[in-house]
Amino acid sequence: MPVHSDMPMPDAPTPPSSSEVLVKIEALHKKFGNNHVLRGVDMEIRRGEVVVLIGPSGSGKSTLLRCINFLEEPTSGYITVGGVTVKCGSHGKTYRDAVHDVRMKCGMVFQEFNLFPHKSVTENIIEAPLIVKRQKKEAALEKARILLERVGLSDRADYFPSQISGGQKQRVAIARAMAMDPELMLFDEPTSALDPELIGEVLNVMKGLAQDGMTMIVVTHEMSFARDVADRVIFIDEGLFLEDEQPDTLFYHPQHERTRQFLRHILPGRDQERLEDETAGRELPE
Amino acid sequence: MKERPGAIALVLAFALLFCSAVAVVVPALALAQEGTPEIRGVSPNPESTRTTWGGDTVLVNFRPNGATIDPDACELYINGERQEATAAVRAISQATATVIFTWPESLPGGEYDFRAVLATTEGVTVEREWSFNSEGQGSGRSLISFQVMQDWFWFIARGAIVTVELTVISIVFASILALFGALGRLSRKMSYRQAWAKYQSWGYLARMTLGRIPYWIATFYTSLFRGTPLLLQIIVIYTVTPQFIQYFGLPDKYNPPAFWSGVAALSLNYGAYLTEVFRAGIQAVPKGQSEAAWALGMNSWQTEKRIVLPQAFKIVIPAVGNDFIALIKDTSLVSVITVEELLRRSQLAGAATYNPLSTLLVAAAFYWALTIFFSFWQAKLERRMERDRARA
Repeated sequence: MPVHSDMPMPDAPTPPSSSEVLVKIEALHKKFGNNHVLRGVDMEIRRGEVVVLIGPSGSGKSTLLRCINFLEEPTSGYITVGGVTVKCGSHGKTYRDAVHDVRMKCGMVFQEFNLFPHKSVTENIIEAPLIVKRQKKEAALEKARILLERVGLSDRADYFPSQISGGQKQRVAIARAMAMDPELMLFDEPTSALDPELIGEVLNVMKGLAQDGMTMIVVTHEMSFARDVADRVIFIDEGLFLEDEQPDTLFYHPQHERTRQFLRHILPGRDQERLEDETAGRELPE
Repeated sequence: MKERPGAIALVLAFALLFCSAVAVVVPALALAQEGTPEIRGVSPNPESTRTTWGGDTVLVNFRPNGATIDPDACELYINGERQEATAAVRAISQATATVIFTWPESLPGGEYDFRAVLATTEGVTVEREWSFNSEGQGSGRSLISFQVMQDWFWFIARGAIVTVELTVISIVFASILALFGALGRLSRKMSYRQAWAKYQSWGYLARMTLGRIPYWIATFYTSLFRGTPLLLQIIVIYTVTPQFIQYFGLPDKYNPPAFWSGVAALSLNYGAYLTEVFRAGIQAVPKGQSEAAWALGMNSWQTEKRIVLPQAFKIVIPAVGNDFIALIKDTSLVSVITVEELLRRSQLAGAATYNPLSTLLVAAAFYWALTIFFSFWQAKLERRMERDRARA
């Protein structure tokens, strides 16, 4: 179901689904000055879904991700996460409280890790639970211990971020986000700043999360991850969703020439051949 | 790899505090009887290693304790006989003055017994007897006198303590001012044009105007105090504050002492410079740090306090250390408002001994020693931070 419209979606009844809609985005616009980055994005994500956003550089995929937890303030539109709806472009206390509620439901993992360099690994993880959720320190420490075990870094608990590798930093960043018990995890190119041999350990942790039923939105260039883990892959171009399909459909049967051009550059060799084979002789719209 | 957290720096800080406390408390304890002067030293001085005497001058240094000396009533006896001498009072500071007895004809070398009697206008007299064995006039006055340096060393050293006090207290206040100044300078998030384009709401613009007051205050503050000379600020604060106090009908006892006027001027001036340093430090913390904190649900204040400021402080330590060294020397400017710090004390000593070069050299040595001492600690601190940063 390709969704690409400048208009807000009419109140079409959502297709019956086995699980609830966790994230709903309606007619989302984001302008940086005269640069119209998101031009009316609509999407729904059900609980437990893993959605991968792909698209060329500057297409707005990172911006969309950052808009969902309001690190970028959308110009207009509606964002609903876990029952909290924010009318974008407004201001005041109601707006700020709603933004805070949305952020509390989202965990975010950044390309540049953004661990707090003046705090140890454990302190990074317990910071927000202590400060924001005002949890007891023992409870937060216990949770941190479990999370570190889960990302395989129990032996790095007392290290500082400058003392561990990039892959380890990113795993700590994931643990830090998970410590707030988010309902939705946002990954903004989590492996793009990593040496190739460190990418696998981060992707494995993410796969583990997906298997445990975490709802995830991932911006990545790791097509193997998209193919193996994603429930849906969305191709964004110039601020619009061009295609929104299951991975196999999008990768090997793209509906648009733009998508195919993009995939030609980015798919691994074997998948590229398959793409060429499957789309051979077909005329695709731009 | 864990570092012991600055134990030495802590000891240093306590040592400084202790010195400051001693310098404040000791003079306060030495509360003497009001109205009775206290003789503190004489020249020719039998306790010094000097053995020459000009033979035509006797100096008696005293603490007035609120009394006024009547020079005509003062008497000098040499070997039991009243010496026909002209007495003059020379005030060095509020705390110390000298009676100078002079007569036309020089006495030759030999053993003398002196008795000086100082009399106040109230009729109170104090006296001191001493002996001095003179080897004659000596070879005239030298340009640099180690004797003068030795005699006045502790007098000037107490000025050095005041200088350190001024520096430490001012840098603390300046840093506090600078912290709020920097937060004020950074509180401006967008222009009116951008705000209008975003919200098209007059109510928002009105609230934004209220929220912009800290920015305006901070900008005005840094502009004013960086745009006028420190010396002028010191003089203005010292002379204007009593006038304000008078204007508002408050009693004179609320007039700040010169010391605190000096601290205020130095703090305000250095606060303005440090504001810019802190602002740059806060801006040097990567944006991703705040974003990570916001994404975890922290509010702006929690983000500043827990994430941004601790990192910014590390960044600005070298620059603050630099300003600290500069401030040690700039405290000399408050000598113009009679604060008896290092420079003023050396000037007073120079005036009392007619040998300013010697005493000023002592002051220069003190300044130099202080800057070397603090530069050493600054370098040590920076090396430590460098190592922390390099831990990879």
